[in-house]
Amino acid sequence: MQNALELKTWPSVRVARDTKAFVALVVLCIVAAAGFASWLPLQVSIVTLFLFAGPHNWFELRYFLMRLPVRFGRSRNFFLTAFAGLAVLTLAYVSLPFLYSATLWSEEAWSVVIASWNTALLFWLALLVWLRSRQKTKANWKWTIPVALALCSLNWLGPDTFSLAIVYVHPLIALWFLDRHIRRTQPAWSHAYRRCLWLLPFVLIAMIWQLSQATPLADDNGLFWRITQHSGAQVLPQVSSHMLVSVHLFLEMLHYGVWIIALPLIGRIGSARFWEVRTVPIARHPKGFPWIVGGLLVFAVVTVFVLWLGFSVDYSTTRDVYFTLAIAHVLAEAPFLLRML
Amino acid sequence: MKSLLFFCVLLLAVSIAKADIAKPKPPEKQAKHVLHTGLEIVPDSKLYEAKLQISQSDLNSLRAALDGDAGSSPVVGGIAFSAPRTIIAGLLMFMAVSVAGVLFARSSSFGRAQKTIGAALLVAIVLGAAAIITRGNAGPPGSWRWRNLPQALADGKPTRGGVDIEIVPDDQMNGRTMRLIIPLKKQNNPGEE
Repeated sequence: MQNALELKTWPSVRVARDTKAFVALVVLCIVAAAGFASWLPLQVSIVTLFLFAGPHNWFELRYFLMRLPVRFGRSRNFFLTAFAGLAVLTLAYVSLPFLYSATLWSEEAWSVVIASWNTALLFWLALLVWLRSRQKTKANWKWTIPVALALCSLNWLGPDTFSLAIVYVHPLIALWFLDRHIRRTQPAWSHAYRRCLWLLPFVLIAMIWQLSQATPLADDNGLFWRITQHSGAQVLPQVSSHMLVSVHLFLEMLHYGVWIIALPLIGRIGSARFWEVRTVPIARHPKGFPWIVGGLLVFAVVTVFVLWLGFSVDYSTTRDVYFTLAIAHVLAEAPFLLRML
Repeated sequence: MKSLLFFCVLLLAVSIAKADIAKPKPPEKQAKHVLHTGLEIVPDSKLYEAKLQISQSDLNSLRAALDGDAGSSPVVGGIAFSAPRTIIAGLLMFMAVSVAGVLFARSSSFGRAQKTIGAALLVAIVLGAAAIITRGNAGPPGSWRWRNLPQALADGKPTRGGVDIEIVPDDQMNGRTMRLIIPLKKQNNPGEE
């Protein structure tokens, strides 16, 4: 009788123990990331980007392939809009540096160009939300239309500030992905995870409090200058560049942590061998595309090695190229996140 | 002949009368605001001469501003005031508020009183935000960052804050070449009126 009772309570005890371990790991990651980002922002930024930028894109690609249906069916318009927008917006974004070097437009004209690209992005997102809401009869997402219009308006007032906001908000999207993923695969952890997320604003406030008066970082060489500029030192000159780089690096570290560690290890995906092509549903399905999936994943692996090689040879240029091309993965997150809502 | 003589006398009288009028004062040139950027005041006991350091990017922005490209610099306070962009932003905000208002009015989950209060709040927020964006400076005033400057200087610590760079005509500088004006509010000591 006692043995039966022990067997019955065993799973709940194990779940509670796992949840505690998960919470401890999340808190440790947040605090460690904040500590390193505040302590040596430039050095840690260089090392973090070198090590994790490429691999996190590979894991992200694999995750999106895992979520892709074999046949689009009712979601055909949604996916067509998603891929068309992704291609057009990425090409437009990548062409901007070439356009900049080929033309002699004024700063004001460039502000209009950047504001136009941001507006196109917001309209694309609003269209995706509308298409997705048509598939979810119970959901009322109409409020997103005025929100998108208000964001467009703010973007036209300060295009550079709006673009900088995207840089800071994008890493947080990974935490949303993780939330949806946990709700599907480990529902018992969901509540604890959301409680952990409450720690983030406090850590951010503490970092801003501590670093707002910190001496600006030395941006006397090209690489350090690029890092401070990417974090918004030129757009917000009155704010300490140390604080900007630290906060951005902290968010980036969380972003990489979610894609490389948390998502592959939690739930059903964690039990699969992530390097095997057959673990991806659209490759495993009889009507699937194993060759295309395999080719994409191999190409992504090659890209990771090319990035590492590029960082080793010319870190600054590779960094610039990476952050220009990386807009594709920023955009790709939107449709797949919407599919999970 | 008489009329010619009268005309000559009149001309002479006018010339003499005009000569008594003081030369009109040329309109005083206003100081021209060209750039908003950051400034750090750092006390250094090892130096023998004050030093003014300016970053290359700020110098470029300053040069562009002096060339007549002032408002277009991305560092002008974060929000640049450009007429076409402000018009587009206004139109989009108008559409956002209109759509939100229609959705709110058609929503069945709110009562009549709640809708009225919500609409009043929405209008107040929009007007307030518009006033802040167009006429005010969002956030605490610039002087807030400089409030501890005297103490920081006494302690040998640096102080950072925003700074507006102005180009002032020479005759208004009274022989000075550069001047740094800090917005310090007078703080009364405890017990002082």
